[in-house]
Amino acid sequence: MTTSTPAISTDGLTKRYGATLALDALDLTVEPGEVYGYLGPNGAGKTTTIRLLLGVHRPSAGRAALFGVDAWGDPVRAHERVAYVAGEPFLWPSMTGGETLEFLGRLHGAVDVEYRDQLVKRFRLDTRKKVRALSKGNRQKVQLVAALATRSDLLLLDEPTSGLDPLMEVAFRESIGEAKDRGQTVFLSSHILSEVEATCDRVGILRAGRLVDQGTLAELRHLSAQTIEVTFAGPPPKLHPLAGIEIASAGPDTLRFEVSGEVGPLLDELAGHPVRTLTSRQPSLEEIFLHHYDSSDGRVGDG
Amino acid sequence: MSATAETVPDRGSPAETAPRRRAARPVGLLARRTFRDARIRTIAFGYLFAVASILNPVAYRHAYSTLAERLAFAESFGHNKAVVLFYGKAYNLLTVGGYSAWRTGGILAILAAIYGQLAGVRALRAEEDAGRAELVLAGPVSRGNVYAGAIAGIGAGAALLWVAVLAGSVIGGLPAGGSAYLALAVVSMVPVFAGVGALASQLAPTRRMALELGGAVVVVAFVLRVVADTSGSLGWLRWATPLGWAEELRPFTGAQPLVLLLPAAASALTLLAAWRLAARRDIGAGLLAARDTADPRLWLLSSPTAQALRGELGGLTVWLTSVGAFALIVGVISKSISSAGISPQLQREIAKLGEGSIVTPHGYLSFSFIFFVLVISLFSCSQVAAARYEESEQRLETLLALPVGRLRWLTGRLALAVAGAVALSLFAGLLAWLGAATQDVAPSLPHMLEAGTNCLPAAILFLGIAALAYAFVPRAAVGVAYGLVTVAFLWQLIGSVLGAPKWLVEITPFAHVASVPAQSFRVGAAAVMVAIGLVAAAVALSAFGRRDLTGA
Repeated sequence: MTTSTPAISTDGLTKRYGATLALDALDLTVEPGEVYGYLGPNGAGKTTTIRLLLGVHRPSAGRAALFGVDAWGDPVRAHERVAYVAGEPFLWPSMTGGETLEFLGRLHGAVDVEYRDQLVKRFRLDTRKKVRALSKGNRQKVQLVAALATRSDLLLLDEPTSGLDPLMEVAFRESIGEAKDRGQTVFLSSHILSEVEATCDRVGILRAGRLVDQGTLAELRHLSAQTIEVTFAGPPPKLHPLAGIEIASAGPDTLRFEVSGEVGPLLDELAGHPVRTLTSRQPSLEEIFLHHYDSSDGRVGDG
Repeated sequence: MSATAETVPDRGSPAETAPRRRAARPVGLLARRTFRDARIRTIAFGYLFAVASILNPVAYRHAYSTLAERLAFAESFGHNKAVVLFYGKAYNLLTVGGYSAWRTGGILAILAAIYGQLAGVRALRAEEDAGRAELVLAGPVSRGNVYAGAIAGIGAGAALLWVAVLAGSVIGGLPAGGSAYLALAVVSMVPVFAGVGALASQLAPTRRMALELGGAVVVVAFVLRVVADTSGSLGWLRWATPLGWAEELRPFTGAQPLVLLLPAAASALTLLAAWRLAARRDIGAGLLAARDTADPRLWLLSSPTAQALRGELGGLTVWLTSVGAFALIVGVISKSISSAGISPQLQREIAKLGEGSIVTPHGYLSFSFIFFVLVISLFSCSQVAAARYEESEQRLETLLALPVGRLRWLTGRLALAVAGAVALSLFAGLLAWLGAATQDVAPSLPHMLEAGTNCLPAAILFLGIAALAYAFVPRAAVGVAYGLVTVAFLWQLIGSVLGAPKWLVEITPFAHVASVPAQSFRVGAAAVMVAIGLVAAAVALSAFGRRDLTGA
């Protein structure tokens, strides 16, 4: 497995637009069969990365390759094993959904028609409707079905669920699961943590054009604090200071803790106090980001 | 949170304490928005209007300095149906003012009509089509504000065009008062056709359909003027077309300012009717409902080029119909061209206008086909514009994410443009022949097809140059392409009359187009134009292969 060509590999991939540095020396490797979540706030450089991976924008420095084929140098060959879903569905307004599926399928070359019909049903797509009459979510479905139906080795998805309702998000996750089971590689750019959590093996966090962290979700979570909120039957007690545990806020009968290590010591400390409820919350994407912003500003750890 | 809470003392709710900006007047803001949106088009038209207004009086004075020359000129031109067809009716060709009113006014009135129509659709349908109107209306802005703002913005553009014609004419040596009135006659077409565009915008649910509807009205208005001006008995039809009103205003030749009531009333009526409709309908919808569902039609989907053809089919039909109809009219009229009573000396004078002999049916057909060279060159520009639109709307990114190469895509687009130009050229030749044949005029079908083919080298040259602009300056490409064709053509009409040196006159490709069928096809010049076009296209392809895709 170690000798196989990576599905995506970038080497010092950099893009400048005039004075703006949109992507700064990205080194990224996604192995075949992996589902990779690419996280970042708006403007972090996610779409720039995908445009460079697709070879529609030219790298200012470095290179990107899909299955070993240079993305800028030989895009046509690179795209033979790739299907793409854009964050904004840019389609032809006067064509119907069905015509669009047919057109995109023919251009791609390989379409699993049976699977496509199944996807059309799953996403409840009205293929007779013209694209101009479709809502954004429905146009997004056209793109998704077209991409998934190719059964391509690599799916490049740029915020693919923007505009989808929760039911359709379930359908989307189901489809990604199927792709994963078939050994397809998925590159999912997103800022919706729950979606990434539900689908991805590995995650990279992009901030201002730089990949600031990368790993499995559990590894990333480990770095940032989880929140524990405790309600007491009465005013909150005085607690001893504990390493790695901070009181973030206090209410008339509640305390909120930020726990960046083990939870055990806190539970021990709480024992014997009149605890009414205790809720624990995994860090949200914002919190993971805040963690990265804080640590990169020099405030590493606090004790 | 607690920190900020401390800094805000208990002075009441934040709404009362926060500094509030006074709401701006939405109509003024929206008018400025409309004006800014159209600024490039307005500047281009204004420039064209000013240049045409300066050059016509100057050229006339230069070419016909004596009364005798002017008499002779008026004698031939004033009654020549070929010329009247394009420039409209001339009332007095013995004065600089009369000549300018005819030459400047006749052409600029048509351009002003096109401007008004585009401006109306752009402001009142394109904004809605793009979904921006909804955003504006979500604010504390009424539909009336939006409509009034759009009309005010168009009015500001029209005022600028008025100043352009006035300034140009005054610089060209015409008296200020008459120039102001001439400018008014020209610009009066803007609100009339802005009203047409506004009505079309209420009927059609898409920008494209609105443009087609409005464009059809402009064409009908033009054809009515042609019929009124060229046929002796149907002169009353001039009152049936706004373009005829512009003629009847008769600047510099017994002005009839009361006629201004007609464009004023027509503008008011169309704009009011459009407003009544706009106030009632759903935002984003048109009164002519577009069909939103259709059975799948799976033809022309096998390649990007096939699909591009599919998308352009509607447009191509419009081009073919307009060119064909015009060629048919030209053919039918060619019969009535006569050379009786025109001296060889005067014919040389006519040749000074760069339009060749127009006093025989052959000569007249040749003269008319110069306009088809222009039209088909503009078609080339429109095809590059369509390619650019595909990119600016980011659909090209959708295509190029598939195993579709850039070169294949652009080559296909350019090939499609060439195929379209060939079809238009041959169709023009065929229908001109058909029109002439109904009147028993002589030119053979091969001859007229040759005249059609003669349009192609220039169209290919301009296609190559437009592609070059597209590759290097994508955002400006469409304006550059249309602008170059227009300027090159105007220079052909005016350059020689101004007495510019020969090399400078001949810098425009139009100077190298033979007058077929009167002359024969110039193989050498055609080969050079096609070669330049092909080299330009090759450079464009190579440069396009190396640049980023560029959004709107």
